[in-house]
Formats: sequence, C-alpha cells, structure tokens
Amino acid sequence: MLLSVERINVSYGRARVLSDVSIHVNEGEMVFIVGRNGAGKTTLLKTIAGFLSPEEGTIRFGSDKVNALGPEEMALKGVRYVFQDKRVFTKLTVRENIQLAAYAAGVSLSEAVDKIVQLYPPITRFLESKAGTLSGGQRQILLLGRALIGDPCLLLIDEPTEGLAAGIIEEVFKVLEMTRRKVSMLIVEQNLAVVRRLADRVYAMKEGHIVAEVNTPEDIQNQTLLEEFL
Amino acid sequence: MIDTIAYGLTIGGILYIISIGLSLTFGTMRIVNFAHALVYTVGAYVLVASLSLFNGHFIAASVVAVLAVIPLAYLIERYVIRRLYGESIDYAIIATYAVLLIGVDAIKWIWGAIPIPLSDPVGKAWNILGVELPLYRIIIIALSICVFFILELFFKYTIVGKIVVAGLEDKEAVRSLGIKVDRYFSLVFVIGSCLAALGGVLYAPITTVHPYMGFQVLLLCFAVVLVGGLGSMRGTFLSAFALGMVMAVTGRFWGPAAETMVFVVMAIVLIFKPIEV
Ligand SMILES: Nc1ncnc2c1ncn2[C@@H]1O[C@H](COP(=O)(O)OP(=O)(O)OP(=O)(O)O)[C@@H](O)[C@H]1O
Ligand SMILES: [Mg+2]
Repeated sequence: MLLSVERINVSYGRARVLSDVSIHVNEGEMVFIVGRNGAGKTTLLKTIAGFLSPEEGTIRFGSDKVNALGPEEMALKGVRYVFQDKRVFTKLTVRENIQLAAYAAGVSLSEAVDKIVQLYPPITRFLESKAGTLSGGQRQILLLGRALIGDPCLLLIDEPTEGLAAGIIEEVFKVLEMTRRKVSMLIVEQNLAVVRRLADRVYAMKEGHIVAEVNTPEDIQNQTLLEEFL
Repeated sequence: MIDTIAYGLTIGGILYIISIGLSLTFGTMRIVNFAHALVYTVGAYVLVASLSLFNGHFIAASVVAVLAVIPLAYLIERYVIRRLYGESIDYAIIATYAVLLIGVDAIKWIWGAIPIPLSDPVGKAWNILGVELPLYRIIIIALSICVFFILELFFKYTIVGKIVVAGLEDKEAVRSLGIKVDRYFSLVFVIGSCLAALGGVLYAPITTVHPYMGFQVLLLCFAVVLVGGLGSMRGTFLSAFALGMVMAVTGRFWGPAAETMVFVVMAIVLIFKPIEV
C-alpha cells in the first residue's frame, strides 16, 4: 500500500472538519474523492500533503509515518499536491514556473520542459508568456506537468476540471490518462463523466466523513449511484 | 528650483533605500516591522563609531555599518519576526515596536542621547546650470537608482529572486513544490535590513545622528510603502521619489509643512486607491 490514512481527525481551530477518515491508495492506482461543497475534500488532500496535521490517527506513506511532516518534506518524498483554483505563479513566465519545480526536484530545466512538452505539445508556444495570461485549462496542464517533474510517486489533485470548458477538459483528461499507472493519483473531482472514465476506486465524502467506498467497475459505471453523493 | 529638485531626489533616493525592506517584509511575511527603524539607526551609529576607527574613511566605515547590522537583522528575524507568522497583524506591530524601543534605549545607553553632526563626506560641489549642488547628494541619487536596478535584476534573473517573487504571490504553492520558502524570505529580510542601514549611513551626514532618528523616517517610509503598494518594488521606487519631491517642494514654500504634506498625499492616494491586503 502506497498511502494509508487511518482514522484521522482534523480541525481548523475548534471546528472539526474531518472525523475518523480512513482511505488508502495502492501503487499505480487512480482513486477519486467525490462529495458536496464543504464536505472536507480539500482539507483531506491538504492534510495528506502536509499543510495540516491530524489531531488523531495516522498517515502512512510507504512504510513511514508522515503525520508530522510539512509540505516541503512531503514534496521531497514524492507526494505532490496540485491546488484547487489553478494556482500558477502568474507573474513568472511558464518556463520560470517550470524552473522552480525543476530546481526543487533537482532536475535540469531542459529535461523538465521536455517532459511537459511531451504531455502537451502546444505549451511550447507559451513558454515565454507570463503564466497569468494562460487560460484555465492551460494553467491546469502546467500545474499537472509541474507536479510531475522529478518523478513523484503520488499526485494529490484538487478539482482539476472545475470551471473548464468541455473541449479543454478533454485535454486535461488526456494528460491524466497519459500519467495513469505511472504515478498513483488521488483526485478530488465533481465531474462524474471524468470519474467514470478514469477511476479505479471512488470514495464519497459527506460532512467530514467517508460515507462510501465504490470499488467495482459496475458500481462506478452505474448512472445513479455516484450522483447521490453530489 | 534645481536645488529643490535635487533635494527632493536625494530624499526620495534615501526613502527608497530604506523603504524597500519594509515593503518586502510586508509582502513576503505579512508583517509590519517597526524594528526596521532600529536597524536604520544602528547603521548610522555604527558609521559614526567606525568613522573614528578608520580615521574618517567614509566608504570603509559605510561598508562596516551595512555589514554590522546583519547579525542584528538575523536575530530580529529569527526570534521576533518568525514567531509572528500567521499571527494577527497587531501582535507584529506591538512586538516589533517593543524591539524598537528597547533598541533605542540601548543606543542611548551606549552612545548617549546627544545628536552627533557629521560633515559632508565628499565636500565637493558640482555646478549645474549655475547652481552649486553638493556632489554627495548626486551620489546618493545615483546610488539609489543603482540599488533599484540591481534589485530588478536580482528578482528577475536569479533563482532566489524568482522563488521570492513566486512566494510573494502564493507562499503555499511554493512550499508544495518542496521549497522551504521561509529561508528565502529570511534572506530577503536581511538584504532589506542592510539597505535600511545603508539609508541610515547615507542620511547621517545630511541631518544629525541621534537615538530617535528612526521614528521620524519610519513614518515617512510607511507613507512610501502604502502609496507604492505593499510588496511592490517598482511602486516603492516611484512613490519614494514622488514623496521626496513633495517634501522638497512643500519645504521650499513652507518648511514646517513638508512632512505633513507627505501624509496628506498618502491619505489622498489611499482614498482613491485603497490597499489590498
Ligand atoms: N481555513 C479554514 N478555516 C476554517 N474553516 C475552514 C477552512 N477551510 C475550510 N474550512 C471549512 O472546512 C469545511 C471543509 O472545507 P473544504 O475546503 O475541505 O471542503 P471541500 O469539500 O473541498 O469543498 P469545495 O467543494 O467547495 O472545494 C468547510 O465547512 C469549510 O467552511
Ligand atoms: Mg475543495
């Protein structure tokens, strides 16, 4: 098992946001989390990524207990978090955005750029543009590409297709499809069409709890089952 | 008129050099740092002390003064500023103000409270269009413009600079890449402090060195930073020179109103362009 989250509780101040949450991700798996706004999906990813630490419970990555590690250490261990809201560094160019990730991962800039160009060749045209001028979809692809630099083991991706037009969702989808199996992924996603096309397993969250685990292809493809959790 | 302009530019240059650290500390760490004024004052006092050590050799004494504040800046960052991350902004104001007061008392204890005048370190004047301008002031203006361009290059072309620019925009995202962004912010803090000391050094021969010199300058620098936009380096540059000119021009017609006018301008700017925190 690559990642296992065992019965964690997480709060902001006195407000309990996650209660008794347990999930796991196996090597090479693509696992989705669905749930309504405010269910605690982002909080769960941020906790795994090291931005928050659980008051109770254990987070294991490989064989290590990683409860107390910060985001920098988690990133260096190969766990990369891609924020909700397509947060690129708007004042830096696309190339510089890639450069920071390459610097952090100890990879050469040209190697890093090549990797992203392979995922999404049209990015070549924007390398010298400020990342702030990219469209939502291009930003998302840049973020995914950036997170893949330095061969991580696990991507935590928060709502990659939120607010994107249908055409560009297809592009983001292709990038996810290409990285499938090479890297394990835990993805928060509200777009069930995307979930059905990619998911190995799905967790449903509600009010800070995991309320269901859907793990057979039939159930995932079932047209009404997942709808219930949105 | 030319001497008024030159005076405005000189004040603007010094205000810029001092303000840049204040602006960056706010932009990177979201902290209003009153202790910046202490570093500025210490810079001026170390200059005085090392001038006598180096037989009045101004450049050597300046270098010593600028470098001497590094340990002080490091201590302030490590033991005061860093503990204030994420706390309410009022805590930062109270804590750094306390550091300033303690520091000023320590200065009084070491060097006494009597103002120390310094002579013009260059002592030459240039004749520009029939007006005699002290060469020292022209050097200050040139130096502040150099500082501006060096910082521009630093933030545009070095990896450290790029990390700081990215961190100013989105600190969490930089951390998520695996970069310990606070270290880079600390470095920027120390650079800003060295510039504050440089400001103290440059201004010392124009006024006098006294324990409270930091308080007055601090308020002017807050005006510069607010008008220029918190954390904006180009904004700080332009606003420092603009407010320097405001001071010089007002002072020419009505001396006592010079500084008040700066705050009037600040208020007007803030009314039309509220700050985004
Ligand atoms: N920084 C914070 N401080 C306090 N409460 C927070 C904070 N961030 C989120 N919350 C609360 O925690 C709960 C879970 O938020 P979270 O962002 O994890 O939900 P989410 O499932 O990601 O929602 P969305 O679909 O809107 O992204 C919400 O009730 C939210 O109001
Ligand atoms: Mg969310």
